[in-house]
Amino acid sequence: MTGRPDFRVEIYQNEYLSSGARQVNAILTVTAEGPGPAQPEAAQAAAVVLIVDCSTSMNYPREKIRAAIQATSVAIDTLRDGTEFAVIAGTNQVRLAFPTDGTMAIADAAGRAAAKRAVFNLDADGGTAIGSWLLAANRLLVTRTGIRHAILLTDGRNQHEEPAALASAVAACQGRFVCDCRGVGTDWNVDELRGIASALLGSVDIVADPIGLEADFRAMTAAAMGKSVADVALRLWTPQGATVRFVKQVAPTVVDLTDRRIATGPQNSDYPTGSWGAESRDYHVCVEVNPGQTGDVMLAARASLVFSDADGQPEVLAQGLVKAVWTDDEALSTRISAEVAHYTGQAELAQVIQEGMAARRDGDLDRATSRLGRALALARQTGNTETEGLLAKVVEIDDPMTGTVRLKSKVSTADAMTLDTRSTKTSRVRKG
Amino acid sequence: MATCPSGHTSTSNDFCDVCGRLINGATAQEPPPEAEPETCPSCGEPRAGRFCEGCSYDFVSGVGGAPAGWVVVVSADRAYYERMLSQGAPDDGPIPFPDRLAERSLALSGQQIRIGRRSSRAIEQPGIDLAGPPEDHGVSHRHAVLLAQPDGGWAVQDLGSTNGTTINGGANPIDADAPVPLGDGDRIHVGAWTTITLRAQR
Repeated sequence: MTGRPDFRVEIYQNEYLSSGARQVNAILTVTAEGPGPAQPEAAQAAAVVLIVDCSTSMNYPREKIRAAIQATSVAIDTLRDGTEFAVIAGTNQVRLAFPTDGTMAIADAAGRAAAKRAVFNLDADGGTAIGSWLLAANRLLVTRTGIRHAILLTDGRNQHEEPAALASAVAACQGRFVCDCRGVGTDWNVDELRGIASALLGSVDIVADPIGLEADFRAMTAAAMGKSVADVALRLWTPQGATVRFVKQVAPTVVDLTDRRIATGPQNSDYPTGSWGAESRDYHVCVEVNPGQTGDVMLAARASLVFSDADGQPEVLAQGLVKAVWTDDEALSTRISAEVAHYTGQAELAQVIQEGMAARRDGDLDRATSRLGRALALARQTGNTETEGLLAKVVEIDDPMTGTVRLKSKVSTADAMTLDTRSTKTSRVRKG
Repeated sequence: MATCPSGHTSTSNDFCDVCGRLINGATAQEPPPEAEPETCPSCGEPRAGRFCEGCSYDFVSGVGGAPAGWVVVVSADRAYYERMLSQGAPDDGPIPFPDRLAERSLALSGQQIRIGRRSSRAIEQPGIDLAGPPEDHGVSHRHAVLLAQPDGGWAVQDLGSTNGTTINGGANPIDADAPVPLGDGDRIHVGAWTTITLRAQR
């Protein structure tokens, strides 16, 4: 197939271990280049389901449902010609807003116009049962191959469904399609949407003011249309006796993939990465190997990007080697790779923000202060100015280097939720 | 087919596909880099890893690199104030911490910018004037100077001020005769409560 981007894997690690040591850390930078939007015909076929929350609360204020209708129309306009699409109106029941017969429409002039008419008449009346919405999207997408994408917009908590129902729906959709999630307003639950987005390998963000929805939907749809290959997995071959401690995507956001392992051979395991356009992502891989003797050279992991067609043989797109070399030279073995150190800090940053914000909600102010203070110091040290700016809206900063902070007494709900939602966003550039 | 040092039969001939050991005859290291080492498009430093050692340019994503310009942010710094206070107040009682001071920032340009308090007698007034209001009385009229560096960065030099200049929360004042190069995020402390933070503009 000609339309696939070229993949490249670069490995950043300190391969030297002192004798007896077993843990090997490496950062894998995976870069996919072309084909860009210039040759969309070369990409895989795409199918997109837009899921719009139509619960009663979308009427309060009325601007919310209006903005959702407008944003959905813009998303429909942004679809590439020929894309299959559908719109689901979500309440405590599922309504197929367009097409209404359980098929998908084709994005052309007639299809777009008919869809926008249907969307214009959306009513907000009912409850919130996100799991049933996802299952409806899955029913539409299950027969499709190629890029399969959903965009989920909600303004509330999953009130009309048991948490277990949502969890099992998410599990059923895993690996079936990618889902970007957006929470509008401040009455939705960050953990709930983050859980869906990370399980379905999509992005999550807050749109506190409905005014921002239109631009966000245009950008999100354009990004989905920029994907040209789906179902790419990170495959790790490890030597006999080795264990994979963890696999995390660490840029552009932190997503722990460790538990998503699918064994594909006695020494091979696959970790799903979703669909790719022209983009670059970083992964942190930690492998424990049998310790070697001084002078031994071992392959700790062969990391490859693998594309699996619906029926075809898995195909290796690119690979990189993670090595272990045992040495007596402490100057070599004690060096820490700058890339590994940077992303270890970024992963901790995401974690301490989430812990701090949870403690803050639970009223454990001492723990909230210490966690958010640690977060501020990490953000400063690793040059993550975006996260530092979000933290500054929630805490008063006494000393950013040591992370001495005080919780602000008045914080807007939108600022608190924005910090929590964007906690997983990492910075790529290390400070000197 | 190859045989590894542990005796496994391996289909790949670089590393054993059972135990991962290097197979004899295969090269342990990547082929040596081409004779011309890659240099940073932003600052010209030879590439030593993913991020440039000189300016933190990211070779993979192509972001970062030499800043487009520099600004300083002047603020009243409570932590620095309390550090100074703990070292003993002046004889005529402690200088109070100002109850209000909006942070202000200033783009750096030219060859040098003086830090000090303006004075009616001086001919040349400081570019970063700390006479307020609120006034930081701990700052000398001619306190320190920011000096443009040949590499596009900035350094600070104390001009023999009465109370000295410290950097990044340090305890010891910098020498009066030697410029100290600064980077993004470095903090200069002068007077009783003033912190001047250098920021790169990208």
